[in-house]
Amino acid sequence: MCSIAAPEVFGSDELGHATVLIAGDVPAELQAKVRRAHANCPEDAIIIEE
Amino acid sequence: MTTLEENSGPVEDPTTDFNIFDPEFVRDPYPTMSTIRESKCPIAHSERWGGSWLPTRYEDVVAIAQEHEIFTSREIIVTPRPQGQVEGPYAGVAAPPISSDPPDHHWHRRLILPVFAPQSVAKYEQGTRDLCNQLIDAFIHRGEADAGTDYAQQIPVRVIATLLGVPVDMADEFTSWVRGVLEIGLTDPKVRLESRLKILNFFTTQLEDRKKNPRENDLITDLLNSGDKYPVTDQYVLGVCNLMLVAGIDTTWSAIGSSLWHLAQHPEHRRQLRERPDIWPTAVEELLRAYSPVTMARIVDRDIEFQGCPMKAGDRVLMAFPAANRDPRQFDDPDQVILDREHNRHVAFGSGIHRCAGSNLARLELRVALQVWLERIPEFSLVDPSSVTWAGGQVHGPRVCRVRF
Repeated sequence: MCSIAAPEVFGSDELGHATVLIAGDVPAELQAKVRRAHANCPEDAIIIEE
Repeated sequence: MTTLEENSGPVEDPTTDFNIFDPEFVRDPYPTMSTIRESKCPIAHSERWGGSWLPTRYEDVVAIAQEHEIFTSREIIVTPRPQGQVEGPYAGVAAPPISSDPPDHHWHRRLILPVFAPQSVAKYEQGTRDLCNQLIDAFIHRGEADAGTDYAQQIPVRVIATLLGVPVDMADEFTSWVRGVLEIGLTDPKVRLESRLKILNFFTTQLEDRKKNPRENDLITDLLNSGDKYPVTDQYVLGVCNLMLVAGIDTTWSAIGSSLWHLAQHPEHRRQLRERPDIWPTAVEELLRAYSPVTMARIVDRDIEFQGCPMKAGDRVLMAFPAANRDPRQFDDPDQVILDREHNRHVAFGSGIHRCAGSNLARLELRVALQVWLERIPEFSLVDPSSVTWAGGQVHGPRVCRVRF
């Protein structure tokens, strides 16, 4: 789900498990998408540090 | 206790006597689920259909899904196994990894995950789009169609047959076998057993063929050749094929059907999807939440008390994902379909180690099926709302759903 909501930030490995594609802070223009990924993650696996 | 006659009769109190095959519950289960969820017994129990528990709150359903050592997947069908399934040539064949428990579950799942990774399923998008267009070509001139039988039912079976490398022109037979296991067979043990045998006989022949004539880029061949990494047996490969056919067809078909049934009645949602194509990702998730097709079962491993309920070893628990997904403790206005819903941690695909392995493919099929339909048939409505027929129990969705356009 996260790779659909924020494809610039989340990808998936060979097994389809989520991976993070960027290092460091989330750029301002992608923050809304990342929040959406967080709010829709069925496993509650995304933690946003402010 | 496995036939309709033995289990029919009016339901006085759904918290102590629910009937998942009651015609009204099959048609529209949400009011009963809400009654149970807001009662003093949000985990209901019924003696019907061999006895089962029905948790209806999101928090409880997720907790049970996560506790896979207590709530095992020894059986996953909502009614007990028919006599005869524990004997015969296929007695040990299950549906790995959905029917597997740790430690085997890990490699049972590991081997099939690459097939369903987002980058792997993307290659089915164009083929699915072409298929949807061909289906619509066949009926668009009539101004009327059955969105269930003529469209939704026809899509996943062909995608899964392509993925498995088995003849797509056998789609009608596959559909009838799967309905025999997951729909009609749930209340008719003879049909269930016969359909299971047809599926396993078919795949046994396919396995023999792949051993004699291995194919390139072929799922069955690749699974048979994975013995160097894991203790793969014919029984495992047969079980995986069984699962992909059974779990990949009825479920997605029902999600597509329910979504079209909804859109037929909501012109404002059809308009919203036309005017704001950027909401497709959330719209797909919202339709999956509101009309979650699947209820899976778990078998309790040992006597425990869960949320005050005295559960005994061997008890069946029905994972009412559709009920969890309409819990107002988790979702604002849960009975409203809000296509751009912001917060939506739905569990239509389950939760924990058995979370649906095919979710990326299901999402793709649902999105493409709806997009193509709305491109070709932007405006449509139900011919007669009362004539829509529904399946329920394990998989909930419309079967006959006539629309005009």
